[in-house]
Amino acid sequence: MTVCTQYVGAVLATAKRDAMIFASYRLRFISQVLAMLFTLTMFNYIAKLVRPNAVGPHGHYYAFVVVGILSTAILTAALSTSNLVRLELMQGNFERVVISPLGPVGGAISVAVFPVAYSVLFSGLMLGLAAGVFGIPLHLVDAPAAIAVATLGALAFASIGLLFVAGLLAYKSAAGTTWVLAALALLGGAYFPVRLFPGSIRWASNVQPFTPAVDLLRHVLVGAPSAEPVWLDLTKLAGFAAVLMPASAALLWLAVNVSRRRGTLMEY
Amino acid sequence: MTGQAAEILSAAPSEEPAPSAQIAPLDEQTLVSFTDIWRYWGRGKNRWAVLRGIDLQIPCGTATCIGGRNGAGKTTLLRIATGILAPNSGTVTIDGLTTGDSWREYHRRIGFLSAGDRGLYNRMSVRAHVDFWARLAFIARSERRPAVEEALARFGLSELAKRRAERLSQGQRQRLRLALTLVHRPKVLLLDEPRTSLDGEGLEMLRCAVSDVLARGGAVIWCSPAGEEQPIDFDRTLFIEDGRLVPA
Repeated sequence: MTVCTQYVGAVLATAKRDAMIFASYRLRFISQVLAMLFTLTMFNYIAKLVRPNAVGPHGHYYAFVVVGILSTAILTAALSTSNLVRLELMQGNFERVVISPLGPVGGAISVAVFPVAYSVLFSGLMLGLAAGVFGIPLHLVDAPAAIAVATLGALAFASIGLLFVAGLLAYKSAAGTTWVLAALALLGGAYFPVRLFPGSIRWASNVQPFTPAVDLLRHVLVGAPSAEPVWLDLTKLAGFAAVLMPASAALLWLAVNVSRRRGTLMEY
Repeated sequence: MTGQAAEILSAAPSEEPAPSAQIAPLDEQTLVSFTDIWRYWGRGKNRWAVLRGIDLQIPCGTATCIGGRNGAGKTTLLRIATGILAPNSGTVTIDGLTTGDSWREYHRRIGFLSAGDRGLYNRMSVRAHVDFWARLAFIARSERRPAVEEALARFGLSELAKRRAERLSQGQRQRLRLALTLVHRPKVLLLDEPRTSLDGEGLEMLRCAVSDVLARGGAVIWCSPAGEEQPIDFDRTLFIEDGRLVPA
């Protein structure tokens, strides 16, 4: 068994652990589906208030906002990693992960896998319901491309989540995820097109991964015209993932070593 | 000079260090080595040294008991051995490795049982726990199932394998924690107050597990409060007093 296989196996084992714990709360999934249905219904009516050509020549605001909501859900799951690690710390479980061969960085990364993967799958279900019940024009032929974009986006988002884990381990605080989430959803155009922003704010939409991710997903899932050329969005998203992931892992390792020296690694 | 080295030097003792109690190595090959371990807690005027130049070599096939009153530094020493805590100065090697050489290889060699009853997932079954930690310990797929079954059987957990951790008694939880500590057959066993909640049967299981580690040429460090009766015969019993190791 290669070293890489061992790490992948341990990460998948963590995802399986989290899936088992999630499945042990049987009403949680039903509750989430109900919340999703109410959200879809609410935005179905809100979409009727939006003028037909507000988001493009076809005026499909409903499809536009549904993809924005599901992208935000994936981002939320990725940013929740620090809260999950905080829970592990409080329950005394992170200690055993840290002293395993997987180590603290691998352990923190593996905590992100299930919630992010689950949010991607749940988003698929949400999209299916939005198509089946409310008739959004879903481009099923492009589903593989959408999965690839969602995975790339999830990687970039998870990297941001790991930055918060580094902050948590170094400073014992996971504060900031809520406003960062709100800011990314705002600047990335989850609920309205970023072209509505004045130029002084617009630049901020281009320096984070949420904007190209949601733009690409809208393009491949519901055929919305992309704000930027597809190749440019793809390059941006891949670039964010390629830069952010190793940078987050390095910062996480630094935070681990700082808190080992302070003696606070297992404290919260 | 690296930033880490500078930090260690800046954190080094400002007062003249008192000569530490040198615990001479036994004749056999050293498996665990603590070299001049200093560890401080607190800051500024409230800073105090909990460990003052600990030197200890533990040979293969030996069990060492480290006692001391509450707050003496036993847990701190074990946590330094696990890598969870970095010493202000000094080095720990296990099988010639430090955590800096290879976190993965270092931790494949150790099994650590922390004090208390934490580290379990209430909603997960006993078997799922052991299987999960076997995967985290990088046990090869072909060896994993037998290792899990052996760990369950060794601590009398086979019949409880499907039971959730939240439905275990305190003693059963401790046995499960021991099974997790030993599932990957570590070379070095670091036990912090392992007797917690164990009945006579549980203690016998623990004694057998320790004997097995020693028979394989491993080493055991057993920390417990002073005055506690121990269920096994140790090759050496030491105490931490005023931050230094002294023979019993």
